[in-house]
Amino acid sequence: MATTTATLILSSADVTGHNFSMTQTATLTKAASSTGLDEFTGITSRKYPAAQTDTVVVADSIYVDTTVAHKVYIRNTSTGNSDYILVELEGDVIIGRLYPGDWMFIPYAGTLDVQVTTIATNVSIEYGVFSQSTVS
Amino acid sequence: MARTATTTASFSLSSSDLTSSALNISASQQLKKAGSRLGLSQTTGLAIKTTSSASAAVITADPLFRGDGATADKANKVYLRNLSTIDSEYFTVYIDQEEMGRLYAGDFAFFPWKAASGTKETFIVTSAGTVAAGDSWDFDGVTTVSADSNSDNFAAAVNAQFYPNWTTTVSTAAVTFTARQAGAAGVVTSSTSITGDTITDLAGSDLTMAITSAAAGTRSESDIFVKPSVHTEMSIENMLIHE
Repeated sequence: MATTTATLILSSADVTGHNFSMTQTATLTKAASSTGLDEFTGITSRKYPAAQTDTVVVADSIYVDTTVAHKVYIRNTSTGNSDYILVELEGDVIIGRLYPGDWMFIPYAGTLDVQVTTIATNVSIEYGVFSQSTVS
Repeated sequence: MARTATTTASFSLSSSDLTSSALNISASQQLKKAGSRLGLSQTTGLAIKTTSSASAAVITADPLFRGDGATADKANKVYLRNLSTIDSEYFTVYIDQEEMGRLYAGDFAFFPWKAASGTKETFIVTSAGTVAAGDSWDFDGVTTVSADSNSDNFAAAVNAQFYPNWTTTVSTAAVTFTARQAGAAGVVTSSTSITGDTITDLAGSDLTMAITSAAAGTRSESDIFVKPSVHTEMSIENMLIHE
């Protein structure tokens, strides 16, 4: 059993009226279990020479679906301010825009592809999936 | 000068045994406005929503975040965390009526949010015919009684009311109603009809409150719903940081 730990730190001195700092740590486990997630795609790093439309970065067909605790990590590794990556689930279910430097970490049901669309050339992205196998 | 704030979101992930070599991933970013160096400046604050023993349908009747709660197509960010400590308890996260995934006990999510707002239902009702003192019109649980026989004054009185689900403007005898929230609520049923209004012509005059135009709304494609796996008490921590 693998032990994988994810940590999120959100902090700001001025987004609210008070200093705000929060640290959350989660051990990534299989659905309804204390057994750790046991699969990882590795981190894929791509630099798209041209704008992309609905390019699949996570294909649902590869994964067990529904009763799962998969996680998807995506980051826009481009520089500058404006070259965003539009992240969506298959079927134009738009999640949102990752601007340069932005990252996301979401639960993934494995029922729809995860796709990205870009508007500029030379946009860079990295992504990876932490998932559970059917092996108990 | 536009308000700005400095908020940092850092992510790290580590494992000594998921891969054959130790794994360490980290990312840290100041949360900025779309296409800008200025920081996101608005937030809902850190909140907790606890679901009750009600049915799933009741629990999920209201979105956790409405698409019209932030400016669309910006760099908005959503944070969610399942506060449960029971392995089997999860929240299913939905966006645009599709399942994103399940947040099991202790899991968190952090992601960008489009915040598409949909459109709001709207209609125009026009006071016509002869209004008399005592005539009334009821809509959205609010009854307006005419004080005199002037249609414009009656329309102004209708406009002056506070409606729980609608905002209004008035122009002479025509009052424009606009839903406070986007969605296909079903009050507007066609371009000349609505449901739920009642006219009382006490004085035997020929007052009418005709719907002279209307437009149905559309649901937001970005509303975020969370559905607990059990209907007993479960809590989700949440925060929206937006433009």
